[in-house]
Amino acid sequence: MNPNDSDASRFRPATADRRGERDLDDLLVHVARGDQGAFETLYDRMVGPVYGVIRKVLRDPAQSEEVAQEVLLEVWRNAARFDPAMGGAATWVTTIAHRRAIDRIRSTTAAAEREQRTADVSPPHDEVAEAVEASLDRERVRRCLEGLTEVQRESITLAYYGGNSYRQVAELLNVTLGAIKTRIRDGLIRMRDCLGVS
Amino acid sequence: MRFFRQDLHTLTGAYALDALDSARETARFSRHLSRCQSCAAEVRGFREVATAMAFAATTEAPAAMREQVMTAAARTRQLPPEVRTHARPRRTRGSAPWIPWLSGAVATAAIAVAVFFGFSQAHTQDQLNAARAQSHALAAEQARVEAELTQAREHDQALAQILGAPHVTLLSHSTSKGGVAVVVLDAATRKLVVATSGLPALPAGQVYQLWLIGPVKIVSAGLLPAAQAGVTTPVVATGIVKGDKLGLTVEPAGGSKQPTTTPIVALPLPV
Repeated sequence: MNPNDSDASRFRPATADRRGERDLDDLLVHVARGDQGAFETLYDRMVGPVYGVIRKVLRDPAQSEEVAQEVLLEVWRNAARFDPAMGGAATWVTTIAHRRAIDRIRSTTAAAEREQRTADVSPPHDEVAEAVEASLDRERVRRCLEGLTEVQRESITLAYYGGNSYRQVAELLNVTLGAIKTRIRDGLIRMRDCLGVS
Repeated sequence: MRFFRQDLHTLTGAYALDALDSARETARFSRHLSRCQSCAAEVRGFREVATAMAFAATTEAPAAMREQVMTAAARTRQLPPEVRTHARPRRTRGSAPWIPWLSGAVATAAIAVAVFFGFSQAHTQDQLNAARAQSHALAAEQARVEAELTQAREHDQALAQILGAPHVTLLSHSTSKGGVAVVVLDAATRKLVVATSGLPALPAGQVYQLWLIGPVKIVSAGLLPAAQAGVTTPVVATGIVKGDKLGLTVEPAGGSKQPTTTPIVALPLPV
């Protein structure tokens, strides 16, 4: 069940690997009909990114596991509401995962821990360095992140991986709110082009 | 705060990374997206970047999780596709920004309800029949749900109203005694639905009581019903005011006029 095992067949985001993407969409259609076998396959393909992104945001392994379980169950329950016209299955699933992690981090008691966490958030360069390992996804994302200006890169990683709101990012980087909004957007435009997102 | 249009447009990036500052700002931007096709297209592209970043963060999950998720899935009835014929006013398909903060909120709420509350808002006979056909294994569960629904029909209308509201917010938080409280909040009508899962059972003579804890006063929002299989059926609370938190305390049987113990959860309610 190691999601890294089947690199060739699994979804590669933001590349021309449209076949893999469609496979995942098809799987989700079967899941929506109650096909548990399809759900198992979908699980194996998506659990790595789901758990990984939640873990990035929450850091705490136990909480991450709890949220990842909720997310995957949500995918099962809600599969029939997935609309391929609105985006791919991988995006649908990872969006839910990231949002649930954010919901968790912005809820009450997490706020206190968060103060702590924000203080010792790793420099974004470490986030990039962490990602150096084998996987093509990591490699591609790392390369594209490196193509950004420093502020763009830091803004995007602090927001997405760090789970910070753009206001918090502005404070952390000591940049105005308006500037942060622009940096995030400009950085994402460059990432989009670099990753070859249509 | 007022935004200039151009200002609003630059929020596409932060929105796509789930980095807007508050539920309110997110809701406002979602509304903007429904009117701005180019913004919606941009958000879709950015979400793909985010997806790539999620894949780049791939981490091996604890192996035991798989079994737990599969077991939970086998017990969990799936929601039917959205029935558009009796849909409330929705954005049209073409211009709708897919993305969940808003459009998914209702579905998300339904999931929470279904998972934690033990049944879904979609409970017309037809839908139940369709769902039954989907899987024999779930028939027993459905029978239980139907019985529950018949019992809770009146209550359920209030529920359905909240769950069907266009801008509900889903909140959930674990309590200091374990378990989790799930809230579906309709800020517009200042109502919420709350249920819990996995709270420890209380000794005889004690109950869980819900409170709206405001800056100036604390109002009881009723007692939690006894849990069935660890899940409490939903309770509707109304009349939420700005600054209220939803609290849960342990009280003597029959409940108290004011809380007598420390809340085990205090969830801020963004209205």
